[in-house]
Amino acid sequence: MRPGRLTTPNVAGLVLLAALALLALAAEWVAPYDPAERTGAPFEKPGPAHWLGTNDIGQDILSEVIFGARISLQIGVLAAALSVALGTTVGLLAGFFRGALGVVLMRLVDMVLVIPFAPLMILLAAYLGQSVWNLIVVIGLVTWARPARVIRAQVLTLTGQEFVLAARALGAGPLRIIATHIFPGIASLAMAQFVLAASSAILVEAGLSFLGLGDPTQKSWGTILFYAQARNAFLSGAWVWWVLPPGLMITASVLAFALVGHSPHPSAART
Amino acid sequence: MFRLILARLGQHLFVLWAAVTLNFALPRLMPGNPLALLAGEDVASLTTIQREALMATVGLDRPWPEQYGRYLERLLVGDFGYSYQRNKPVIEILLSRLPWTLLLAGTGQILATLVGLGLGALAAQQAGRAGDMTLLGLAVFFESLPAFWVGMLLIAVLAVQVPLFPTFGAVSPWEREVGLALALDVAHHLALPLLTLVMVSFSGTFLVARSALLTVLGEPFVVAAHAKGLSKRQVLFRHVFRNALLPVVTVFALNLAHAFGGATVIETVFSYPGIGRLIYEAVLNRDYPVLQGAFFMITVIIIVANIAVDALYPWLDPRVRQAAMQAEGAA
Repeated sequence: MRPGRLTTPNVAGLVLLAALALLALAAEWVAPYDPAERTGAPFEKPGPAHWLGTNDIGQDILSEVIFGARISLQIGVLAAALSVALGTTVGLLAGFFRGALGVVLMRLVDMVLVIPFAPLMILLAAYLGQSVWNLIVVIGLVTWARPARVIRAQVLTLTGQEFVLAARALGAGPLRIIATHIFPGIASLAMAQFVLAASSAILVEAGLSFLGLGDPTQKSWGTILFYAQARNAFLSGAWVWWVLPPGLMITASVLAFALVGHSPHPSAART
Repeated sequence: MFRLILARLGQHLFVLWAAVTLNFALPRLMPGNPLALLAGEDVASLTTIQREALMATVGLDRPWPEQYGRYLERLLVGDFGYSYQRNKPVIEILLSRLPWTLLLAGTGQILATLVGLGLGALAAQQAGRAGDMTLLGLAVFFESLPAFWVGMLLIAVLAVQVPLFPTFGAVSPWEREVGLALALDVAHHLALPLLTLVMVSFSGTFLVARSALLTVLGEPFVVAAHAKGLSKRQVLFRHVFRNALLPVVTVFALNLAHAFGGATVIETVFSYPGIGRLIYEAVLNRDYPVLQGAFFMITVIIIVANIAVDALYPWLDPRVRQAAMQAEGAA
């Protein structure tokens, strides 16, 4: 992920991501209808008025999918930001203070990695209630351990380097060393972790919303599919316009972030 | 070695304790009526007697440490709470659903590992060339697919448009088959959910297997094995696979959590009567005791799997055995 050394997959991911972000930002102008309004009869087939037909209560599916970009990307990006911010903080502390604090933090990281994240997130989201912010918090709170581990490993390498020892010998305090010497060394790694976290957060959000934990007033792609599933859209021809488009958008977003974060050495980015 | 296993066991028990404590604390910390958070949204429709019985068992009016003590006591005797919506103890509901999830997630995880290992070997053999690149691209693509969406598409195409497979359930309703007919019926219902799970979960193993194989293929002992005239097959199975197996076993345990997560949405799509579908129904009804029980039970399964993998390591890799012995000697 060094700038100036973008691979073909990186560029493809960036282009795809830019297109999706543009769609999300321009949703008001691009979408033919307000997705919350009933602009047609229920279960309409695709036609000139509704290119992707209407859902069970007569809302335009195309408009839902376009506005869904806003909700899905927003949750993915903010949840990933929270996850990596937490992970970076824990990783920095655990790597720098290798005494009791470091040991306790790493025990915590190991524990969070083992606890099955899916049922825990479902439980938390069910308790907190259906809202966009609750999903962001739940995903961020449960997925920070992986970035923490990666960041800590890098901090461990950095603290052993001569320039850090030199700074220490010159009497620099821990905060100063972290801010001026360690942080710049982990910033690009944290960025790469953020991109990967966003990729998986979008997928996780889709899954949680599909189980009925999404905000029914602000439908993400996963929430659209929750309703499609609840109304058995995949048992009729409706799957072509009601199930296929939101799923393609989820796949495109997850793939876009994965491609941007793609490194030529796949094993290195994952551990 | 014994000491090492004990230390790891301690870690696992710690995770279990954390899950239990989380289950205890969450309904008591969340905003809202704690009784509703403990018993599910149906609490309003409980009779006075039921409500009093619930208050007495949970002991909401008692101090926290006492509540916690009672909670642990009840867990130890297998009391996971009571689902008022289903009028059954949670443990009973979970145990009746567990076999189906174990069947789906278990076979799915094993198949995904085999597929990942096979494709990883295929990719490693032609590292850097077109075949390898194609497989890598496919792995990234399949990893990006939402599992439930793949399931919905498979039903639409392979169960509705071309009715090859059933659209829902784990066995045919209204038919009471036995023996081989039953096994075939179960397999027929399992096929699509299983295919979905394998499609979305093989890539983790694939990437790890590929890079592990690439590392091992460059080792001097592989060159030596070739040099002493062993056939390609012998080198691959006796020398390469065996050494690349360790990281694959490690991701097997890690991916198991993913398999259960995937199974949750896949069972929902296919109306498969496992714990995943149960979780979906419990979410819709806000049946919190069932959600808590499911979380606890899946944690226990993951931990048991981790312990099994820990026990497998020294057997798979003599280096681990030796390191453990040395640590023992030093201690």
